[in-house]
Amino acid sequence: MWMIALQRFLILCLTLVVISLLAFLVPYMSGGDPVRTIVQSRVGDMAIDPASVETMRVHLGLDRPLYVQYLGWLWSAIHGDFGYSFVSRSPVGPEVARALVVSFTLAMSALGIALAVALPLGTLSAMWPGKTIDTVATFVTQTFVAVPEYWFAPMAVLVFSLYLGILPSAGWDGPASLVLPALVLSLRPLAYFTRVSRAAMIDVLQAPYITAARSRGLNMNQTVVHHGIRNGAMPVVTLFALWLAGLLGGSVVVEVIFAIPGMGRLIYEAVVNNDVPVLQGSFVCIVALSVLINTLADALYILLNPAVRIRHVH
Amino acid sequence: MSINHLAPSAPTILEPARSTEPSSVAQAIRFIRQRHWSFAVGSLLFLTIAVLLIISPWIIPHDPSAQSLLRRLAGPSVQHWLGTDHLGRDLLSRLLIGGRFSVVIAAVTLILGAVIGTLLGVISARTGGLTDEIIMRVVDLLISFPDVIVAIFMIAIFGPGYGTLIASLTIVGWTPFARMARGLTLEINSREYIKAAEVLGCTKTFIIFRHVIPNAIRPIAAISFLRFGHKLITVGGLSFLGLGVQPPNADWALMLAESQPFVERAPLLVFAPGLAIFLTALSVTWIGQGLEMKGRNASKAAQ
Repeated sequence: MWMIALQRFLILCLTLVVISLLAFLVPYMSGGDPVRTIVQSRVGDMAIDPASVETMRVHLGLDRPLYVQYLGWLWSAIHGDFGYSFVSRSPVGPEVARALVVSFTLAMSALGIALAVALPLGTLSAMWPGKTIDTVATFVTQTFVAVPEYWFAPMAVLVFSLYLGILPSAGWDGPASLVLPALVLSLRPLAYFTRVSRAAMIDVLQAPYITAARSRGLNMNQTVVHHGIRNGAMPVVTLFALWLAGLLGGSVVVEVIFAIPGMGRLIYEAVVNNDVPVLQGSFVCIVALSVLINTLADALYILLNPAVRIRHVH
Repeated sequence: MSINHLAPSAPTILEPARSTEPSSVAQAIRFIRQRHWSFAVGSLLFLTIAVLLIISPWIIPHDPSAQSLLRRLAGPSVQHWLGTDHLGRDLLSRLLIGGRFSVVIAAVTLILGAVIGTLLGVISARTGGLTDEIIMRVVDLLISFPDVIVAIFMIAIFGPGYGTLIASLTIVGWTPFARMARGLTLEINSREYIKAAEVLGCTKTFIIFRHVIPNAIRPIAAISFLRFGHKLITVGGLSFLGLGVQPPNADWALMLAESQPFVERAPLLVFAPGLAIFLTALSVTWIGQGLEMKGRNASKAAQ
């Protein structure tokens, strides 16, 4: 058990080092001289004086050997200092933190909706496999997986904002502006959660302890509520964590469409504006977070599931 | 991410590889009839879309990039069956052409990912030890990366282009296949016929290509079909953001992005390309679902 934890921890550290190295090398990989890029971003499209490039190089310490620069950069990055945005000139750390909070709120709302629909739906279709409810659930979830969010989003805006005028079409103020984007984002996780909880519940309902509960005189509904859901929800918990990690940066399209100042839009705008510090900061944060969440999800799974835990001990 | 978590770690569809009998139409019909209805419907829908996309350069009524500012945002007419976009380009022609890039890119990344992932997964399971450990830890790591983010970063660094697009989506895309192929191989490894082959002195490579891969191919195919929709939507999303297929090429997601400001005046401009992506993704998902469903029943019958 502790060996596994230690191993996981070492892998996590190794990953973070690799990621930080990749992020550090971003300006070097894109070809061209990073100092030139910086000077260019400051003076706009005016002609660049080679002497000022060299002054800037010394000033920024970019004339030092690469590994010294990396260690220095890493040291500040660990302290949350990723430098200043080329565009807004404000420090990257707080900017990323603000965006993360927004994306986290959005992702949790979307996953909340998904979970609220998927768990009952999955449970019901597992209780009556092959019956109408199961067929309908399967059909609906198949359909949801194939819906592109950049199609559903403008259509939802058209209906709810432009025709009915009951919800804002974009922006980030108040719960009302959260409804449409969360709804759009919830479709795909909803489909996956339903399928996973259905499969898990079908397994659970065949377990001996369910038969035991039934034979003690509990009816089907009581059995499912008291014994089934707790056990059937376990794979969904893991999946929830994975989706949370995925949505933190992966909701780019929805954030751009609804003008939500989250992580996805931060990254998108950094790419469009070639804003290297923001790009580095958000890349490190997003990847580190998703790896961390995944490791935690694995740990949670092992803690929740005695069978796995015992297998790991022996 | 995500679909791999649906895939059973010890998949159920493990039939011995059949030698290919002389194929006939009757056999094909039997194959389809044995499957869930969604397989037939999905195949039919996908074939229709694929044929339309292939022959589109010869059947489109107008030049898809010919602009006519006098006919901006025109409604459906005899000349332009579905109307025109904000630059007066014929919507129907652009729709027929518009799936070619994204469907091909999605297919290529998927096939690359499936081949690389399957090979690495099989090698991982057959070799074991340190190789297995390294490959699976890399999978654990990459599988948690959001694929859109990886793609965006790679495009940011290397610039947009089909090569970057395909490479960036393959880097993350092979991992679920590796995990699945490894699970399948471990199961196949315990079969009698593998032991028989080993006793007979067959080489590792021979066993992998003659016994393991043919037996693992069907469940992997089912997952590939299920993942195609996801890939198509991801490629579309990148094009939507201006990082995938570049204008003036006609592309469904790009058309959707360009028409967004006009959604209130001409909803069809946004609705139609989205519907095209949706139907393509749905048809392939149905094929995958049909393949998987039959597998489930077949294994139940065999037990």
